Amino acid sequence: MIGANPASNHPIAFRWITKGREQKGSKLIVADPWFTQSAAMADLYVPLRPGTDTAFLNGIMNYAIQNNLFHREYVVAYTNASYIVHPDFKIEDGLFSGFLESGKYDTSTWQYTGEKDPTLQHPNCVFQILKRHLSRYDIKTVSEITGAPADVYEEVCKLYCSTGKPDRVGNAIYCMGLTQHTHGTQNVRALAMLQLLLGNVGLPGGGVNAERGESNVQGACDIGVLFHVLPGYNPVPSAKAHPTWAAYREKTTPSTGYWVNRPKFLVSMLKAWYGEHATGENDFCYDFLPKTAADHSHVSTFQDMTKGVVKGMFAWGQNPVVGGPSAVQAREAMKNLEWLVCVDLFETETAAFWKAPGADPAKIATEVFLLPAACSYEKEGSITNSGRWIQWRWQAVEPPGEARSDLWIADRLFKAIRKEYQENGGVFPDPILKMKWDYGEAECDVVKVALEINGYEVATGAPVQSFTKLADDGSTACGDWLYSGYYNDVHNPPCKRRDNVDPSGLACFHRWAFSWPANRRILYNRCSVDPSGRPWHPERALFRWNGTGWVKNDVPDFNAKLPPVETADKAFIMLPEGQARLFAPGVKDGPVPEHYEPVESPVGNRMSGQQHNPLAVLWKGSIFDKYAPAESADFPYVATTFRLPEHYQTGGVTRNQPYLVELAPEMFVMISKTLAEKLGLKSGDWVRVATARSEFKAKVAVSSLVRPLTVQGRKIEMVCIPWHWGFQGLATGAIGNDLTPAAGDPNTRIPEYKAFLCNVHKV
Amino acid sequence: MGQYGVLVDITKCIGCRGCQVACKNWNDLPATKTTFTASRTNPPQMNFNNVTLVNFHTIEKGDKVQWRAVKMQCFHCLEPICFEACFVHAYKKTPEGAVVYFNPEICTGCRYCQLACPFLNIQLKWDEVFSRVRKCDMCYDRLVRGLKPACVATCPTGALKFGERDALLKEARERIAKNPDKYVDHIFGEKEVGGTSWLYISDVPFEELGFRTDVMHESIPKYTWKYISKAPILAVGLPILFAAFYVYTKRRAENEDGGH
Amino acid sequence: MFSMKKLSRRDFLKSVGLGAAGLTALDAFGGRSAEALLLKKRTEMPPWKLQYAEETPTICCYCGVGCGIIIHTRDGKVIGCQGDPDHPINQGALCPKGQAITDVSFVVAENERRHSMYERPRVRNPRRLTKVLYRAPFATEWEEKSWDWALSEIAKRVKATRDATFERTDADGVTVNRTQAISLLGSATVNTEENYLMQKMMRGIGAVHIDHCARL
Repeated sequence: MIGANPASNHPIAFRWITKGREQKGSKLIVADPWFTQSAAMADLYVPLRPGTDTAFLNGIMNYAIQNNLFHREYVVAYTNASYIVHPDFKIEDGLFSGFLESGKYDTSTWQYTGEKDPTLQHPNCVFQILKRHLSRYDIKTVSEITGAPADVYEEVCKLYCSTGKPDRVGNAIYCMGLTQHTHGTQNVRALAMLQLLLGNVGLPGGGVNAERGESNVQGACDIGVLFHVLPGYNPVPSAKAHPTWAAYREKTTPSTGYWVNRPKFLVSMLKAWYGEHATGENDFCYDFLPKTAADHSHVSTFQDMTKGVVKGMFAWGQNPVVGGPSAVQAREAMKNLEWLVCVDLFETETAAFWKAPGADPAKIATEVFLLPAACSYEKEGSITNSGRWIQWRWQAVEPPGEARSDLWIADRLFKAIRKEYQENGGVFPDPILKMKWDYGEAECDVVKVALEINGYEVATGAPVQSFTKLADDGSTACGDWLYSGYYNDVHNPPCKRRDNVDPSGLACFHRWAFSWPANRRILYNRCSVDPSGRPWHPERALFRWNGTGWVKNDVPDFNAKLPPVETADKAFIMLPEGQARLFAPGVKDGPVPEHYEPVESPVGNRMSGQQHNPLAVLWKGSIFDKYAPAESADFPYVATTFRLPEHYQTGGVTRNQPYLVELAPEMFVMISKTLAEKLGLKSGDWVRVATARSEFKAKVAVSSLVRPLTVQGRKIEMVCIPWHWGFQGLATGAIGNDLTPAAGDPNTRIPEYKAFLCNVHKV
Repeated sequence: MGQYGVLVDITKCIGCRGCQVACKNWNDLPATKTTFTASRTNPPQMNFNNVTLVNFHTIEKGDKVQWRAVKMQCFHCLEPICFEACFVHAYKKTPEGAVVYFNPEICTGCRYCQLACPFLNIQLKWDEVFSRVRKCDMCYDRLVRGLKPACVATCPTGALKFGERDALLKEARERIAKNPDKYVDHIFGEKEVGGTSWLYISDVPFEELGFRTDVMHESIPKYTWKYISKAPILAVGLPILFAAFYVYTKRRAENEDGGH
Repeated sequence: MFSMKKLSRRDFLKSVGLGAAGLTALDAFGGRSAEALLLKKRTEMPPWKLQYAEETPTICCYCGVGCGIIIHTRDGKVIGCQGDPDHPINQGALCPKGQAITDVSFVVAENERRHSMYERPRVRNPRRLTKVLYRAPFATEWEEKSWDWALSEIAKRVKATRDATFERTDADGVTVNRTQAISLLGSATVNTEENYLMQKMMRGIGAVHIDHCARL
C-alpha cells in the first residue's frame, strides 16, 4: 500500500484487508510520509519523503531482480521482457536517448527491433536494459533519497518480493499519493512493473489497484468527460493528427490487439450522436466532432481564461476553486469569465468565487447562474466503482424545492440551446440541429439514455447484447462501447442485478450488477494460469485447461475457443504486442521510470543532473508560474496534502452535513513535535503557512504521527495539509489548495499536490 | 440462552467513526457544535446527543508510535449500579443484556445514576435542572427484533462483534491465546464491576487508552449491599431519604406540569 | 416498470440480523422473566423506528468503493439509512460519510421534541439549494429566478459565445468545428447517464475544454 490511506479514505476497502489478514494470514505493508490510520494498522510501516516513490519502487524491483525473486516464467510469457530494443537506446544522466531541444523526446530509439530473446540474455533486451537501469537503485541509495530507514526498507523489499513465488500473490494499492506528482505516471508504472515482475497481475487477489476517490470518477472517465478521450477511451480527434476520418482511422487503429475494432466503436458512437444524418458518404459526420487545438486540460483551461480565450464555463458538480491547484490564481483567472454556470447541491466556493474573502464583487463582471441539483438518491441512474462495477441507484425521495436531476438539467439545457438555433439561426448550427436527442418530449427518461449508451441496432432499435455485435457500417449505434451489455435487457438490465452468489469463492459476483468490459471481473485474467493453462495456485483458479476446453470462473479476457498455447502470448489483448510493457515506448517521459525530484524539492537529485522531470508541465509565463526553487531557503519544509475520513474532497457537500461537521469542524495543519518545538508551537495555535503561491492561516495540530526524515544527512520536516475546507458552508476554513503548485505530469497533467515547499510561522 | 454483548477488538479498529454517526443516525440525535481538537476526538466528551464516542490515543514508546481508536459507550454492566441507584426504577437490565432507561416518564432527573456510574457513561443535559437521561441502550429496539446494534452493523472491519456474551468471552480468550505477543492478557469487562456486556481486548494496556481499571472486580451493588447491611440505619434510612426526595421532586414536577 | 426496487423487511432482517431463528428466540422470552414484565408494563416491544418505512437501495455517493446503502423513507421524508446487508462489497457496513448520507437531504432537527415515535425529528437540510440563483455582473447578492428564465438565458449566452468564437477551420485549413471559449468541468459524482449527456451536449456545441477532477 503506497500513497494510499484506505483506513481513512476508503474504510470499506479496509474491511477486506482486515479479512485477508485474519483468514489468509496476509501481511500489510504501508509506505507513507506520515503515520496514517492505515499505517497504524500495518504489519510493516515504512516512511518515505513525499515525491520519492519512483526511487522507492525501483529499489524493490532491483531487489527482486538481483536476488532472483521475480517470477521468471510469468515475466517471459506475459511481458515484453524478451523484446530487443533499438541498439541506440541509452539512458544518460537522467535523460533517455532522443531528448530534443524543444523539451520533448524523439522516441525513435525507444522502439522494438522486432526480435526476441526468451532467455533474457541479449544485452539490449528489455530485461537486461531494466536490470542495468535499476541496479543504480540499491538499498543504501534508495534509503538516502527517500529517508526510509535502510533496515526497514530492506525488510519491505524482502517481504514484498516473497510474492514473486508462483503460488503467492501480492496486491498493490495506490491512490493520489502516487499519482499527484510531476512524475505520477512513472510512479504508477513502477508499481505496475513491480507487479508484473512478481507475477501479480491478472490474478484474484493481485493487481495494481487504484482506490478511486469519487463514486463515479471511473464512470466519468469511461464516458469521456475528459478533453483527450471520447466515450470508451477513443482519442478525441486533434486538428493536427486527425484532420479527416481516414486519418483518424489510420492513426488510431493498430494492426493487432483489440483496438483493431476501434472504427466499429467510433462509427457506432457517431451513429448514436447524429442518427440518420451519419452515413458512410459523409464519414458518419466525423467532421462535426470538435478537433482539439492544444492541451485543454484543467489548468490550461484556467490559463486560457486569463488570456480571454475561455469566456464561459460550466462547473457541473465540481468545485475547482477549492479542488484545483493554485486556487488563489484560479479564482483570479475566473474573474475574466463572462459567464459561469454552476450546478450543485449547495452554494459552493466556485459559485460564490465573486464573494471570496479579499474579492471585490463590484469589480467582477462575471454573470453567475447557480442551478439547484438533486442528490444521489433523489434521482435514478448508474455509477461505476473502482472495480468497474456499474451499479444502479434508485430514487428514494423527491429533491427539495425546485432542485432537479442533472439529467433533467442537461436535457432541458440542450433543448433550450437547440431552440435558440432553430429560431434564430447562427454559425454552423448543423452539429446542434442534427444531433440525435430524443429522450422524451417533456421529461428526460434515464432508461432511454442508458439504452443509447448500451447501444442498439439501428434498424430495429433492439439493444445490442455486447460490443462484439457493433459494426462500422452504420448498422449499430452505441454511446460507449465499453458499457455495451450493461443495459441490454430493458426488463432486467444487468446493472440492476442484485444476486450476491459467488460460486467460485473468488469474489467475482457475476450476478451482482455489471462490470465492464463484458461483465469481466478480473482484467488480464489469462495471466492467472500458466502458459499451458494450469492455475498458478489451485485454490485461486479463475480458469483451468482440462485438455479439451477451459473451465471458467470468470469471463475470459482471451479467446477461450482456442487452446492455451495460442493465447499464451496474447494475455494483454488491448496492447498491439499482446504482452505487458516492462518497457513502454509510448510514455512521454521515458520507457522506464527514473527518479526525479518534485519540482519543489528540499534537496538536489542524487541520481542525475536532471533535478526534476525534464518534461514536467510548468505553465511558464502565466499566472500559475509560481514555483519555489529547489533547496529554497524561503520555504524550508516539505508540504503534502491529505484527506480525512469525515470529509469528501472539497467539502462542498460534507461541510454542509451537520454530522460530519461535528466530527471534523475546523481546518488545521499537522506538524511534528520537533518542528513545533523549534517554532514554539502547541496544538491549537494559529500558524501562517506560506508557499510561492500564497499563504493562509490555520490552527496547528502537533502530532507524533508526523516525524522528520533523514535525507542525505539532513533532517527534513513535513507539513501535512488537508484540503477539505473553504469559505462557504457550515464549517469554513482555509483552502488547502491555495498553496499547491500547478506543475503537471507530462502524460496526464495531474498537478503536484503531494510534494511542494512551504514555510510556517506562528501568528 | 445467555445475554448478548459486544466484543471490541481495539487492534482491528481503524478509527473511521462510522459507529459514532450510525448511533446518532439510528437514534435521531442532532449534531452538536464542536471546535478543533488536536487528537481529532470530537466532540471531546460524550454528551446528551453523543452517547457513543471514539477516542483517539497516540501512544509513544521510544521510536515507535501506536495510534489507537477506542469506542466508548455504556458498558452495560451485568449488575448495573445505575439501576440500583435509581429509586424510581427508570432503568432495567433486560434479559438480552442491554441496560435500558426504559421508563423516562417516571424519571425525576435526580442524576444519581450519572453520579453512580463509575465510567461516566450516562448523559444528561447540563442546561436543564431535571433532565432526562440518555445513554446507550444497545439499540434495544433493534435487539428485540433480531438486529445488531447500529454501531456494530456499520463497523467496516469487524472491530465490533455482536453475540452472546459467553461466546464472545470465549472468543476473546482464544484471540489472546492465539496472539499472546500482540494482545495484553486482559479482557476489559470480564471482571470489572462484576462484568459488563461490552468486552474489550487490546494490544495496548487499558490504562493507556483511558479505561478505568481501578474499579473493583465485584459488582458495585453487591459491594454496596455488603457495606449497607453492616449499617442497618443506613439500610433503612437511605430508602426513606430517597422516598422523601422522590415525593418532593414528583410534586415539583406535577406543579410544573400544572403551570403549563 | 422501472420503479424503485423495494426490499421486503423480511429479506432485510434476514441478512442484517441474527437470522430467523434468533428472531423467534428473542421474541419467545419476551414475557418470561420477572424483569421482562417490568418492560411489559410499559409496552410489549419498544417502538419500531422503521414502522411503515420504505427501503430504497442506492450506491454511496462518496468514494469509489461503491458500497450499497438502504435509504429509509416514510411519507416522502428520509428517516435514516443503513449499509445494504446484501451488498457483496460492504455487507451492511458503512463508514461515517456513508452513514451521514441522509444529511444531504434531511437532517435531525435540534429541537428533539417529538409527539410520537412514529414522527422522526427530521427536516430538510436548510442549506440545500432549492431555487435557481442568479448573480448579475458586479452584483453583491444572488437573485432568485425561474428555471425557464435561467435555461433560456444560459442558452443565449452559449449561443452568443459560440457564434463569436466558432472556428470552422484552423490556420492550416483543417475542418475543426470548435469553440475554445466554452469549458465544461464535469463531475465525478453524478450518474454516468448524466455525464454522458453533458459531454454529448458540449461536444455538440463544439467545446474542446472538457475535463473533470480525475485529472486533479
